[in-house]
Amino acid sequence: MNKTMTVDILSSIKGAQPSESVNKLFDVIKNAVPTNNNAATNVNRNCVSVSDLREDVVIASSAMEKRFIIENFPNKKNGFLVVAKVIEG
Amino acid sequence: MDSQIKKIHQQLVSKQITCTALVQEKLEVLKQNTHNSVNSLLDTLALDLAAKVDAKIANGETIGLLEGIPFGIKDVYMLQGTYTTASSDLLKNYKSSYTATAIQKLLDAGAIPLVKENCDSFGHGSSSENTIFGAVKNAVNPELVAGGSSGGSAVNVAKEYTVFSIGGDTGGSIRQPAGYNHIYGFKPTYGRISRFGLMAYASSTDCVGPLAKSLEDIRIVLNVMSGKDSKDQTSIASTEISEEAIATSPVKKVGYFKNFIESDAIDAQVKADFLASIEKLKAKGIAVKELDFFKSDILVSTYYTLAMAETASNLSRLDGTNYGNRIEAENLIETYAVTRSENFSEETKRRIVGGNQVLSQGFSDEIYLKGLALRDQISENFSKDFAAVDIILSPVTPSTPPKIGDSLKDPLAMYLSDAYTVGFSLGQLPTLTVPQGTSTGLQITAAKNNDELVLQFANFLKDTL
Repeated sequence: MNKTMTVDILSSIKGAQPSESVNKLFDVIKNAVPTNNNAATNVNRNCVSVSDLREDVVIASSAMEKRFIIENFPNKKNGFLVVAKVIEG
Repeated sequence: MDSQIKKIHQQLVSKQITCTALVQEKLEVLKQNTHNSVNSLLDTLALDLAAKVDAKIANGETIGLLEGIPFGIKDVYMLQGTYTTASSDLLKNYKSSYTATAIQKLLDAGAIPLVKENCDSFGHGSSSENTIFGAVKNAVNPELVAGGSSGGSAVNVAKEYTVFSIGGDTGGSIRQPAGYNHIYGFKPTYGRISRFGLMAYASSTDCVGPLAKSLEDIRIVLNVMSGKDSKDQTSIASTEISEEAIATSPVKKVGYFKNFIESDAIDAQVKADFLASIEKLKAKGIAVKELDFFKSDILVSTYYTLAMAETASNLSRLDGTNYGNRIEAENLIETYAVTRSENFSEETKRRIVGGNQVLSQGFSDEIYLKGLALRDQISENFSKDFAAVDIILSPVTPSTPPKIGDSLKDPLAMYLSDAYTVGFSLGQLPTLTVPQGTSTGLQITAAKNNDELVLQFANFLKDTL
């Protein structure tokens, strides 16, 4: 089985092709020489420490919130919102 | 300019104007404006809230400083029950089911939302032309772009259709349109204001921030929106910045990036004006240091590599099933593809495809991971710079705003025009555009979490330049 996925498949965009302008930006990165080529030392640490994790709580949606969610997807069948078929064969 | 918020507050309290009349007047000018700055008006909500403020004043009750102050919201923020389109076909009928934390804090303080404002679709652009609502026209010269992506917000503030507006800044989207329309625009330290309810573009640099005509109004609105929020675990605690605290500036040393000013890309007048501003600072006894920095093409490429990777991930949920205007096709995979192909703009598709390119096997080491390593170096560079200087001053843009239509013809030129703003986003640093110094303003940047110093220096510049 061919595991190569083209960008149009990866992006779910029909006929998508890499852009010349964007490739020029990537070429700059390819040719750059970082003094430390190790992303593990990321100084922009935005991760939360384990001791600071928020409580795992379930918050019920308000009636109004539910109403707007339903408005965004108005199709209903047998009382359920109709989204695209979930599993394809 | 003095604080518009304080002036209107006084007028309301002293009953010179009613809140209803004020809101009606603003709604009318927004409705009639020809700058394409409006995606939708929140007239019913705004007038209801205004009537409540008037009732409070009539009853002799005290009102808060922001109570009854009309403001605008870039159309990427959730406000329950309002359309939140991101200026896109995909979400043109999408209604927010909840309200963003930053906006909720303003509502809690009594501010009145008037309008969801035009912008580049999903923040993808630097000109506010990538939108289904028509290119936003510059407040000063309508033949020119408003800048972007928070172009509608900048124009509404500049034209005084709103007293302040809330923009979003990922790589310069508040600072650049603020510069193009001659107003203040602030990107705070990353995390100072919760991103909960802001439609994600590139999560590691996305910032919420205010645009206003006066520094004092920036300070007031910033204080209200700031604070740690359990709904955004990257948000941080911060202390309020008082009016007294910014009255004096402790800044002794200012730096600027030599290569920004010596670049071939900078407009001769912008360069001359910037250097003249530097001379004025020296005359005031401020020490000025030239700093070395990364080449502009490295900054822009690093930013766009990471931003595209993040937006490809963030926008994967927009498939017509989780979110957005679904176009049915023969099966689920086709439904996703047709929905996304027909509803995303060319610029958004370009960025999603670019992101998936750099994240895919075989390319991630060569581009994405290298981009992360470069970002680390950029941040380390900033740390060293702020050991030597208090503030970094830079132009906002290399040149004046382009004509409407020109940016769309040359995406690479548009990306490169972000050269002076993206570095500070990668460093997650507080940066303010002030409408002084060059025709598109100046950027004041301080070390991370030193937002107060930025405002102090901006206050000093008001009387210096």
